Amino acid sequence: MRQQYARRTQALAAVMGFIAFAIIVQITRIQNSAEADFFRQQAENYAYVLHTFYPDRGEIYDRNGRLLAGNKTVYEIGVDLSTVKDAHAIAFAVSSELGMDYDKMINEIQNPPEGLSYLVIADFIEAQPVLNLQALKKALQDQSPEGTRGGLTGLQFKSHPQRSYPEDALASNIIGFVSREGRGYFGIEEKYDTLLAGNPVRAYVPTDPNKAFEIQRMPDGTTLILTINRDLQAAAEQILDESLLEYGAQGGTIVVMDPRNGELLAIAASRRMDLNQFWNYGVIYDQASEFNPAVSKPYEPGSVTKILTMAAALDSGTVTPATSYLDTGSILVGGATIKNWNQKPWGLQDMTGCLQHSLNVCMATLSSQMGAGSFYSYMDRFGFGQLTGVDMAGEAEGRLKVPGDSDWYPVDLATNSFGQGLTATPIQMLMAVSSVANHGRSVTPHALYAMVRDGRQYNVPAQYAGSPISEQTARTLSAMLSVSLETEGSLALIPGYRVAGKTGTAQIPVNGFYDSTQTNTSFIGWGPVDDPQFMIYVWLERPSASIWGSETTAPIFAKMAKKTVILLDIPPDNIRQQLVTK
Amino acid sequence: MVCWWSSSPACFRGAYREHIRKKMNIPNVNHYIHAYKIAPWRIQRQWIGNVLLAVVALAMVAALYLNITSRTAIAGREIQDLTYSITVSQQVSGDLQTQLASLTSASAMDHRARELGFRPMETDEMEYLIVPGYSAPQPYILVSAPHLQLSALTIPPQYNQSLLDWMDEKISPSRGQQ
Repeated sequence: MRQQYARRTQALAAVMGFIAFAIIVQITRIQNSAEADFFRQQAENYAYVLHTFYPDRGEIYDRNGRLLAGNKTVYEIGVDLSTVKDAHAIAFAVSSELGMDYDKMINEIQNPPEGLSYLVIADFIEAQPVLNLQALKKALQDQSPEGTRGGLTGLQFKSHPQRSYPEDALASNIIGFVSREGRGYFGIEEKYDTLLAGNPVRAYVPTDPNKAFEIQRMPDGTTLILTINRDLQAAAEQILDESLLEYGAQGGTIVVMDPRNGELLAIAASRRMDLNQFWNYGVIYDQASEFNPAVSKPYEPGSVTKILTMAAALDSGTVTPATSYLDTGSILVGGATIKNWNQKPWGLQDMTGCLQHSLNVCMATLSSQMGAGSFYSYMDRFGFGQLTGVDMAGEAEGRLKVPGDSDWYPVDLATNSFGQGLTATPIQMLMAVSSVANHGRSVTPHALYAMVRDGRQYNVPAQYAGSPISEQTARTLSAMLSVSLETEGSLALIPGYRVAGKTGTAQIPVNGFYDSTQTNTSFIGWGPVDDPQFMIYVWLERPSASIWGSETTAPIFAKMAKKTVILLDIPPDNIRQQLVTK
Repeated sequence: MVCWWSSSPACFRGAYREHIRKKMNIPNVNHYIHAYKIAPWRIQRQWIGNVLLAVVALAMVAALYLNITSRTAIAGREIQDLTYSITVSQQVSGDLQTQLASLTSASAMDHRARELGFRPMETDEMEYLIVPGYSAPQPYILVSAPHLQLSALTIPPQYNQSLLDWMDEKISPSRGQQ
C-alpha cells in the first residue's frame, strides 16, 4: 500500500516537475521569440517621450535689484486632432475668446495637413484668456453625461516662458529686446544673448518611474545685474524729453557714468520703444544706430574735444596752465584759415582762457606746436577711432584720420584739435575724458555689474583702458576746467558742488560742407572735482532754440547733475569736507 | 576500533567503553541508530523540508523584491510629479515677480507718489546729517550664499537600486562602479 502511494507521489511529482519545466521553457521561448522583440521594441518606443524644455531666460536687474527684464508664462493653444469631439465648439470658443477668425479656424481644424496629429492654432497667449478657456472646457466636461467627452475635448494648452519688460520703455536702448524665437537684439539682450538665453532643449524623458532620476534639469540662463540705476535712468529720460521740447532738438542723448570705474549709471536716448511691443521697432527707428546713439552713432563732437587737446598739450609739456597766448582771431594751417567761433580775436589769454572762451585758434596753435606725431599719438591713446569695448551691442568706432590716410590733409591737424573732422560716440568721449577725471587713468565703460549663475554671483571688476596722461596733468586740467566754468558763470554750475566740464558746439557736415545754421551741441562734465563720482555727457541734435552748447546742453548738464547728486546721495562739498575732517 | 597509538586518551576511552559493554552484556545500539538514519521516509522528509525551505526563501526574496520595486516606482512617480511641480512653481514665481516689478515700476511709483501729493526733491531742500558708522548703499547683492540644489543624481544608490542591481554590483564590483 505504502509502495503504491510512493509511486503515485513520484508520478505526481514528475508531472508537476514536467509542468514547471514546461513553464520555464515556455517563458524562455516567449522571451526570445520574434514577437517578444516586437513588443520590446514597442515598449521602448513608449519608454521615453520627446519633451521640449524651455529654460527661463536669465533676468536683468538694475544695480539696486529692480527687475528690468523678466519672464512671464504664456500659452500655446493647440488641438489634438485624434481626440477632437466637436471641432465647431473648439473653433467657436477659441475664436470668441481670442478674437480670431472662426471660419479660418474651423477650416484648419477640419482640413489639417496630411499626417498632422496636433495643430497649433495660437501661441504667446496671455494667461487670462487661457484660464477662461480652461474653465469652459471643464464646465462642458462636467455637463456631459458620465463616460462621454466634453465639447472642447482635444483642446490643449501648453505653457512656456516669454520675455517681459516691467518698465516698458525705460532703458529700452540699454536693454534691447528678445524676439519670439528667443534671440536677443540690441543692447544687453544681444551682447549677452548666449549667457542670458536658456535655449529650448529637446530631450527624451523616461516615462518609467524607476528611471525618474534620469530626468534632466535644464539650467536657466544667467541672470545679469547691471550698473544702471533705474531711478537715475528715469530722471535722465525725463530731463532729456523735457529738454528736447524746450530746445527744439531733433534728438539727444544723456549718459551718466562713474568715472572711477566706468560703471554706466544711465543712458537716455530720445527715441525709445516699449520693449513688450518690440514689433514696433521698424515704426520707431529708421536706422539701427538710432536705437542707442550713445554707443552706435558717431558724430563730430566739436569743442568738447578741446579738453583732450589741452590734456595732450599739458602732458607733453608743450604748454603750462600759465602759458600766455595772444589770440589774433585766425591762423593759417595747411592752406586753410582757422577762425574762432565768433570770428573775432580774443587778445592775450592763458590756457584756462583758451578753454573758457573755447578758442579754436588757440587749440589749432597747440596742435601745430605739438606736431602731428605727438598730437595723434595722444588721440590714439585717448581711444579715438577704436571701439571702447562697452558691453552693449552695435558699438561704432568713429573715425580719426591720421597722417598717411588718403583723406588726411594738414588742415586736419588744426580742425581735429577742436573736434572737427573726426567722429566719436558719446561713450568714446566719456572714456577719453575719464582719464582727466580719474587721475590720468581712462576707464572702460560697462553696463554689467554682476552675473548670477547656479546660485553664485560673480561681480565684474572695473577695467582700465590705459593712462594716456599723467595724474598731475589730470589734476591740473580738472582745476582749469572748473575755474573756466566758474569764471564764465556757466549755466552748467550747480550750487554747493564744484564741477568741471566743457561745452561743445559743432557744425554739421552736409554734402561735404558745414551747415552753419545747424549744430550738434554737447557738454561733458563731472563732479565733485576733488572726488569725481559722476560724469555726464549731454548731446542735443540740431537744437532750434539756440545753436550754442553753452545755452542748451550746459543747463541740461546742471539739471542732470542736480538729480544725480540727490539720487546717488552725494552731499555738497562742504558736508563732504566735514566728513573727511572727522 | 583500531588504535595505532594506544596511549592516546581517545583510543583509551573507546577501548574502555567496549570493555564495559561486553562485561555488562549490554546490546549494541548503533545498529538501531544506523537503521533510523537510513529509513526512506526520513530521507523523503528531509528532501521535502529542504525544498519547502528553498520555496519559502525564494518567496521571501520575491516579496522583498516586489516590495522594493513597488516603493521605488512610487518614489519615481513622486519625483516626476515634484519635478513638474517645481517647473510650475518657477513659472508662477516668475510671473509674480514680473507682476510685482510692473506694479513698482518707475513710472507707476512716480504716478502714485504724485497722487499722494509728493514731488521730486530739489538739491537745496536736502539736509545731510552725519551719522557715525553709516556706509553708502552698495550695489544689489542678488545672491548672498550659494544655494544647495538637490539633484536626483546625488541620491545614494541604496534608494534607487533594486535588489538585483545590488546583487549584480556585489558579484561584479567593477560593473557596479561604472
